[in-house]
Amino acid sequence: MRKILCLLIGLYFSCVKGLAQEKMFYSQTELGFMLGKSGEDWEGKHQKRIGLSFQSFHGARINSKNVIGFSVGLDRYDYLSVIPIAMGYRGFLGKEGKAQLFGGLDLGAGSMLLEKKEETEWSKSWYEGGLLFSPMAGFRFPSRKGKASLSMTFAYKRQELSYFWGQLDQRTTITPRSEGLLPPGFHSVSETASLFHSFVFRVGLMY
Amino acid sequence: MKTKTAPILSLVVIGLLLVFSACEDQITNTYTYRTMLPVYLEMSDVRARLIAPEPPQPLDNPGKIYIYGDYLLINEPTKGIHILDNTNPSNPVNLSFIPIEGNIDLAVNNNMLYADNYADLLVFDISNLRNIQLIKRVEDVFASQYTQQTGQIVTFKDTVITTESPTWGGRPGTGWLMLSDMSFRANFSAASQSYGMGGSLARFTLMNAHLYAVDQSTLRVFDVKDAKDPKFIKPVDLGWGIETIFPFQNKLFIGSNRGMHIYDASTPSSPTRMSVFEHVLACDPVVVNENHAFVTLRTGNTCWNGVNELQVVDIKDPYKPVLVKAYTMLNPHGLGLAGNYLYLAEGQHGLKSFNVSDVMKIDQNQLEFLKSMKSVDLIPGPKSLIVIGPDGVCQFDYSKPAQLKKLSCIQVKNPVIIN
Repeated sequence: MRKILCLLIGLYFSCVKGLAQEKMFYSQTELGFMLGKSGEDWEGKHQKRIGLSFQSFHGARINSKNVIGFSVGLDRYDYLSVIPIAMGYRGFLGKEGKAQLFGGLDLGAGSMLLEKKEETEWSKSWYEGGLLFSPMAGFRFPSRKGKASLSMTFAYKRQELSYFWGQLDQRTTITPRSEGLLPPGFHSVSETASLFHSFVFRVGLMY
Repeated sequence: MKTKTAPILSLVVIGLLLVFSACEDQITNTYTYRTMLPVYLEMSDVRARLIAPEPPQPLDNPGKIYIYGDYLLINEPTKGIHILDNTNPSNPVNLSFIPIEGNIDLAVNNNMLYADNYADLLVFDISNLRNIQLIKRVEDVFASQYTQQTGQIVTFKDTVITTESPTWGGRPGTGWLMLSDMSFRANFSAASQSYGMGGSLARFTLMNAHLYAVDQSTLRVFDVKDAKDPKFIKPVDLGWGIETIFPFQNKLFIGSNRGMHIYDASTPSSPTRMSVFEHVLACDPVVVNENHAFVTLRTGNTCWNGVNELQVVDIKDPYKPVLVKAYTMLNPHGLGLAGNYLYLAEGQHGLKSFNVSDVMKIDQNQLEFLKSMKSVDLIPGPKSLIVIGPDGVCQFDYSKPAQLKKLSCIQVKNPVIIN
């Protein structure tokens, strides 16, 4: 996970460095919500999932219609907070100074830094983030004065994350390692891997 | 692109996004756990296999260690015995490996190596270590190895399994499968992380021309006056939870997880119980001198009592052992006594040495605490203090008990973890 993030950030800076002119910078900050449908519960029913979604995208223009950059934000999935970090692309259709249609794609990973790891004498539990994939489309409404534009984004967001609960090995004798199948020192580990499919609507400002 | 098509395109794209988003969340559970899978063997098949020494093999997961002159015999639990030349403790040399299936313990008597092979006791002539020969097989002496239903030997293989099903009804993995830390074989293996002669976790011991072997509930007595021809005399029922045996002055001190049994072996063929020093459920290796027994109790394995102590028991009257004092320890495992000095393996916490000449002030007479030397057992040998830990088998010069000096470490192939 960390390697992916480092790679994405490295790629971003390597792209932006050559384009570092003031007017070339682009930013988009939005707040909205995510809608999803939980898997079947024990009664075979689905529950609606709604959560906050905040995103701040910063990038550089390759040309007047295309932007690459990276985004960070905060997404809420039920009781979990995920920090999405992604490389992103935005492309615009339409004339400058008028309402434009834009599309984009974010590809990265969700970080679970905000979720606490828990540890007792007998067990440990923790979260790990996973792949984030989010294609989007939206509208840009430029203001009559100033550089800012109103943005309205519709997106699909696919987010993977996992919850781990591990029972520590209580044997006080020495035990062989498990050749990677179990982390060292654990007797068992259960993983609950979640894949969230969300419809996202956000509004905000573009600069 | 024409501006008229833009709204249509945007609607199509947003529609597609909605379709994707309509998918329901997916949750997948996987459960990865360590367990012991049963493996069934026919003893006739085991006996049919040729046992011949092999070229040296790297130490994988060393168990008991036996000092035999200038040589070290190191058991690889359930696999066999390594033979090392320890003429120079600073540079032990791996010589050969005797593959013995199911082997847990060993003892040497007049150049005869005794080793268990599941239900059988094997005798090897090791007078010439370059020409080791199997000369005798005493069959079916460890009959408790057989399952009653099938008459087969059942062993348990430590296995890590991943399943999509997270539960087996109750605590995962406890159905027909055994938790690795609950099986008797694992208990054997656990106890086998130690050293034969003098080792506080030994299960084979020799005294007065008799071999004494304990399993989880029985003491088995062999007459070995003729070292080449051990004769099984009888089993002595001990009760459950037997872990270690330590011989001293015609007595056998048997550590169980409920206490320490003292047996009078002045009639070697027929040991009789003198007393049982009972304590709470705990794992308890024992070492002894003329007046006192030193017992460690620790948490872990099947010892859930939560006590980590070094207990000193007065055994001047072996019929009435009395607790003298208990000292709190961190997680004591094996221990070794050399004169007035006690060496104690503290598991992942390290290795301690004490002067125990005053048993009432042992805590005030701690000589050294090597926190970096994680250890599970040790044996004070004639040339060196041999310590087993996650790094392998290490030897220390202990001529100055307050200043242990590391001589060598035999690395193990698979590093291990101490909990």
